[in-house]
Amino acid sequence: MLRLTDYEQEMLDGKYGKLKKKAIENIVKYANVLGAEELCEVTKAHVFAGAHSYLHAVESDDIEEVISEMQFCSKEKISMEKVGCFCQTDCGPMDPIKYKSMGCTEAEGIKNKEYLDYYSKFGIIKVGTCVPYLTGFIPLMGEHYVTSESHAVLIMNSLFGACGNADGLEAGYWSAICSRIPKWGNHIMENRKGTHLFNVDCKIKTKTDWDLLGYTIGRFLPTHSIPVVQGDLNSIDIIFLKYFYASMATTSGPEMCHIVGHTPEAKTLEEAFGGNEPLEIKTITKADLDCSRKLINDQSEGKIDYVSIGCPHLSIEEMQQVANFMKGKKVADGVVFHVWTAASIKALADMNGYTQIIEESGALVLTSSCPLTSEKKPEKAYRLAFDSCKQAHYIKSSTDAPVHYGEMEVCMQAAIDGEWRLI
Amino acid sequence: MANIVYKGRGAIPGVAEGIALVSRETIQGWSGIDENTGMIVEKGHPFEGMSISGNILILSGGKGSNGWSCHFHAASVKGIGPSGFIFPKMDSRTGVAAVVTGVPTITDLEVDPFTAIKTGDRIRIDGTNGTVEILSE
Repeated sequence: MLRLTDYEQEMLDGKYGKLKKKAIENIVKYANVLGAEELCEVTKAHVFAGAHSYLHAVESDDIEEVISEMQFCSKEKISMEKVGCFCQTDCGPMDPIKYKSMGCTEAEGIKNKEYLDYYSKFGIIKVGTCVPYLTGFIPLMGEHYVTSESHAVLIMNSLFGACGNADGLEAGYWSAICSRIPKWGNHIMENRKGTHLFNVDCKIKTKTDWDLLGYTIGRFLPTHSIPVVQGDLNSIDIIFLKYFYASMATTSGPEMCHIVGHTPEAKTLEEAFGGNEPLEIKTITKADLDCSRKLINDQSEGKIDYVSIGCPHLSIEEMQQVANFMKGKKVADGVVFHVWTAASIKALADMNGYTQIIEESGALVLTSSCPLTSEKKPEKAYRLAFDSCKQAHYIKSSTDAPVHYGEMEVCMQAAIDGEWRLI
Repeated sequence: MANIVYKGRGAIPGVAEGIALVSRETIQGWSGIDENTGMIVEKGHPFEGMSISGNILILSGGKGSNGWSCHFHAASVKGIGPSGFIFPKMDSRTGVAAVVTGVPTITDLEVDPFTAIKTGDRIRIDGTNGTVEILSE
């Protein structure tokens, strides 16, 4: 039975206005669906803003009508109100400036701006990235947050010890307005103990190793489980982990993943499992990683049309690596090469001269979106290559064209050569 | 012959009747459902090429994007969403999907729904009383 505080009950009774009432009504319904007993206070919300395609379900040009129905489940139009916590935007459907160069129309660009400007008036900061933890959105241990980005949940829960579940699309808006979320699942520390053990019995050294490891564990992970990973994982790095967790949240749905000796709730194997026995123990081998690679790397070669890197969005360190690699080189004729990052990271890349070097090669640095979120790829592009398991997996699901996966350097070299070759 | 009735917990109230689509392998949100047609488009999924529209989905849980719910939500707003859900256990993705679609939803069933119910069975779910009834042909 759900218990509400006096303040929460007053919100529900409408004392603080229509939108707060609607937001907490949804949160209360959600809490009852889950079987939660109380709500907890949210301090940070990372929301899916912009003119995303699924919003077209409401056939209206009035964005307040669309937001009311799609974000707040209200047939009645209700205006937005100031958000109740620190709130920034996730990836949008396009680069807000260079949208035409990625195939969006002027009308789509204007509509997207209308949404972002509207949300901004009510305190939602336009950041436009899937890596909020690289742009100032850093919930600490025990802090309750919501996010619409699946791998951000894994990073913030597993690495930071913060508390969130994989619920932040519509519920992100409800929480942003009423600052509440059901105290359930990973919002309760006792629920975060490991259930399945993965012994890694192969070398994990590079970013791609970590990416493939996450993808592979996800393939074997049953629904509703919490993996605990152990092995020689000393190459661990926040940038490698963004790939590891992004690919794991692609092939499965975990919200917490302990890495023994590295993540704070898993200083030891015993602590990771809270004294319980693992339900299953699985060894991950090089053959498993090779199998994952084959699943997302089409076993063919030929002229490449589109190369995209930056899923999750590239860090400033990776922008430097791209600039160093592309310096003095040229993207082959007929190849479109996109490099995706956050706007604030691009500003740093601009300042450091990285953007100029990358774009002099013929590549294009874009922000605030990606091929998956934008659902756009260059017109007539056939053979596609990505350096991210997540991006390759989802794009492969949506096309019959050959999709390739490989190291960032392999993808960049393919853009320069104009060809994908099997190694 | 009397219909078989199983007891569970009603998560979203209301009654729905429809054909069951039963899969332990959940559907991914992105590139999983075409919200304009209601078709399941996830390559290799047992339901690829089938429609969620008007059917009762019995899935193990959510996976992939935190926006899992929005694809079902958009399909529901367009009138081509599922008519109900059965989840053996709730999670955050399915919990939000149940709320935003508002369709009758049952969880915590006394039996394993993946063995008790088959794809193609006509079933009636009552989210108010928490029951699932397999209707005789």
